[in-house]
Amino acid sequence: MNPDLIPALDAAGLPGPPWLFHFLLVFTFFLHLIFMNLTLGGTLMAFVANLRGGGRPGDADSVLAKRLMGVNTYAISLAITTGVAPLLFVQVLYQQYFYSGTILLGWIWFAMLVLLMIGYYAAYLHKKFRGGWLGVSALTFFAIAMTHVAVHLIHVQPAKWPQFNISAMSVLGDPTYWPRLLHFVLAAITFAALVAAWWAVRRARAGVDVELNTKIAASSWRWALWATVLQLVDGFVLTAVLPTEVLLGVMRGGLATLGPLTLSIILAIGLLVMLAKASNPVDHPGLVSGTLAALTLTVAVMTITRHQVRVLYLEPATSRFSATIVPQWGNFILFAVLLVIALATVFWMVRRVLTSPAEGDEAA
Amino acid sequence: MDYPIWSSGLGGGVLMAWVAITHVIVSHFAIGGGLLIVVTETLAVKRADYEMRELARRASLVLILVSTVFGAISGVGIWVVAGLISPGAISALIHNYVWGWAIEWVFFVLEIVAALVYYTTWDKISKGAHLLVGWLYFIGAYMSLVVINGIVAFMLTPGRWLETHAFWDGFFNPTYWPSLVLRTGIVILMAVAFMLWSAYKASPNRRPDLVRYLGWWFFGGALLSYAGYRWWEAVLPDTVTALFLGEAPTLAGLAATRSFTLWSLAIALAVCVLALLLAPRFARGVTAILLMATAFGFFGGYERLREGTRKPFLIHSHLFSNGLLVSQIDEINKVGISAHSGWVALGDPAPEALGARIFAAECSSCHTLDGYQSIREVLPTVADMELVVTPSTMGADVLAYETECSRCHAEIEHAEMVEMLPTLEEIREDPDFVRELNLGMITMSIAGLKEMGSEIVGFDRTTPFDMRTLHRSYMPPFVGTDEEAEALAIYLAALDNSQSATSGGAR
Repeated sequence: MNPDLIPALDAAGLPGPPWLFHFLLVFTFFLHLIFMNLTLGGTLMAFVANLRGGGRPGDADSVLAKRLMGVNTYAISLAITTGVAPLLFVQVLYQQYFYSGTILLGWIWFAMLVLLMIGYYAAYLHKKFRGGWLGVSALTFFAIAMTHVAVHLIHVQPAKWPQFNISAMSVLGDPTYWPRLLHFVLAAITFAALVAAWWAVRRARAGVDVELNTKIAASSWRWALWATVLQLVDGFVLTAVLPTEVLLGVMRGGLATLGPLTLSIILAIGLLVMLAKASNPVDHPGLVSGTLAALTLTVAVMTITRHQVRVLYLEPATSRFSATIVPQWGNFILFAVLLVIALATVFWMVRRVLTSPAEGDEAA
Repeated sequence: MDYPIWSSGLGGGVLMAWVAITHVIVSHFAIGGGLLIVVTETLAVKRADYEMRELARRASLVLILVSTVFGAISGVGIWVVAGLISPGAISALIHNYVWGWAIEWVFFVLEIVAALVYYTTWDKISKGAHLLVGWLYFIGAYMSLVVINGIVAFMLTPGRWLETHAFWDGFFNPTYWPSLVLRTGIVILMAVAFMLWSAYKASPNRRPDLVRYLGWWFFGGALLSYAGYRWWEAVLPDTVTALFLGEAPTLAGLAATRSFTLWSLAIALAVCVLALLLAPRFARGVTAILLMATAFGFFGGYERLREGTRKPFLIHSHLFSNGLLVSQIDEINKVGISAHSGWVALGDPAPEALGARIFAAECSSCHTLDGYQSIREVLPTVADMELVVTPSTMGADVLAYETECSRCHAEIEHAEMVEMLPTLEEIREDPDFVRELNLGMITMSIAGLKEMGSEIVGFDRTTPFDMRTLHRSYMPPFVGTDEEAEALAIYLAALDNSQSATSGGAR
């Protein structure tokens, strides 16, 4: 490693203890993943379902595609909104590595913004005009996932920066690149599929278009099942190709690192068992809700593991630096209080909206 | 300056301008639109006015399509571009104001959720609940401005922060309140500029009413903007206003920008009074385009002025736009930029190659080779020298002297300069002699920039610097050892790829 390639720590110091920023980074990234999963997984699923259904009204695949893209009206905006916070906190904790990684990718990193806009507006155009817009949207979101995996792997490996400086595209040859990308894509598909199944089960049990919703639920359930099967295989491959020092770091980390990893493996196997248990999810509403809850928990735990793996990747570099801590506790408390008030306001607003249905002249 | 160096080819400033200009227009519209839409809906409910309700409804579609995604992405885009072109600088800002940005994010979450709910619940929930959502949207949006305004204004006028480095001293800086008033006016201008298109879709008999209604908003927004602008100018330190105000402003380009800014507002106001208030029946697409152009002109002019007067700093008197901290100048001059940045040291150690990397690290955040702020354009070349010494009845020799020589040698007349330079024949016989001469001039300029750094180090760092006393007040100093200065000069001199002007090869 050429240690001199790592920029100096920011002279201003950390405006709070590192643990606080680690927590905020992980927590807000988890929130982002929820909506990112719906966006990426939902669009990819919708693309395939739309191809299979051919856009025929009343066809289960076509309705599934329409529903997923309906959810995406909100999910894309919320994925961007929730993505702002982890982007902020990663710049506080890892600015030396993160900026370097993005600079080495250069235009590709910048292009992510353009792709994001194309992806969103293509999703909107699909709703208006159909045609090939859904494919454009799916392709751009997949390309954004590729970019994020690339920037992650570049920023955590300062030892390879001279190589990436010659060709950033060489990150595609990193042994972990494709398993890592697949890991995220499969998780996204599983999540979107389970949300679609959960929704269809609720509709079917409420007596709305029972036959159609039963088909949609079964189809989404199968998506989730097969994505989880592949995920388990990919998860082991990804673990196996991790750099030895990182893997050893996980093993030596004791309960702190092995705990979340073991829990996520148990949860993944549990998910598979639950998904294999039912062929018609409409008959098992509790199981569907439980599976979705278990998957959400898995995503949360895996977010912790992902962060720990980053810490281990970067450990040889970060151990050379010691940040000055200049806490701004008053400002943090203000942030925390405002966050609680804002979330409570959002909750209250949504509740008020749900309890104020109106029609005709009474409606807004 | 110790990060890897990205060369976009366009120039960092151009790329940032693209992203930032689109973002500020859209984000200010998102705030003003929130206010106008919810007030319009409130009035519509009170008066049971269907057309007003439809105006609010149509405008809310634009709001959702433009603001929630385009506004958000371009906002993130500012971080993305800043991280690419000036990582040290954005890192410094974030490390000082992370909690400010975190608080802004909180309001942003409220804003986006409320926007999504507002748009999708037309015809579905009670009027009262819908209005509540609309007002919550506006509160979230406006509060995000209240927060980000502190960080943006801080960059130009850090105020007491220079002395205390305390968050709130920087946040409530001297231009905070004037900027907030000014931006509050601007958000209304932006909102009307967009909403006029929605008003045009109203039924013919109600269209004039709605256009006039928006006209009053625009009128109020313009007056508020003007008041905020004059207040902003009034609180700027003399060292800053001298750059663009007075009999002999230091930066003539900025003085012109100021005139453009105020004239844009005056024209916008005139169009508003004539077309929206007095004769709304005749308002057409061209009226909206004219109002958009002038309102954007005013806003863009103000932003240009704010950015231009901050030059060469990102945080005035603390951090230069290329990421160099004032506190780093001495240290880097001592150890060298190559020791400070592994990326400058990485590669061919030959002077020209090293100079190229130094240029990338220290200069490329503002200069490109041949595009925006082209460095090749401002360097002396053999072809320039030929033009200066070649008598021309059309005055090409004097023009060449004025563009190429007089900026650095104002005290030397053209005739004297010709006397000092080799003759045309001598230049053609031995162009390398002129290249040597140019290298000498570039070396002297860089030495001057390094000397400027020593002067800056001597400034009182607890008060805003008066950059007018410096040789090149709009540039960061050169930092590095004498050998590195020489390497940079060799690289810059080698950029002269011009051929003889008389053989038709001049650039």
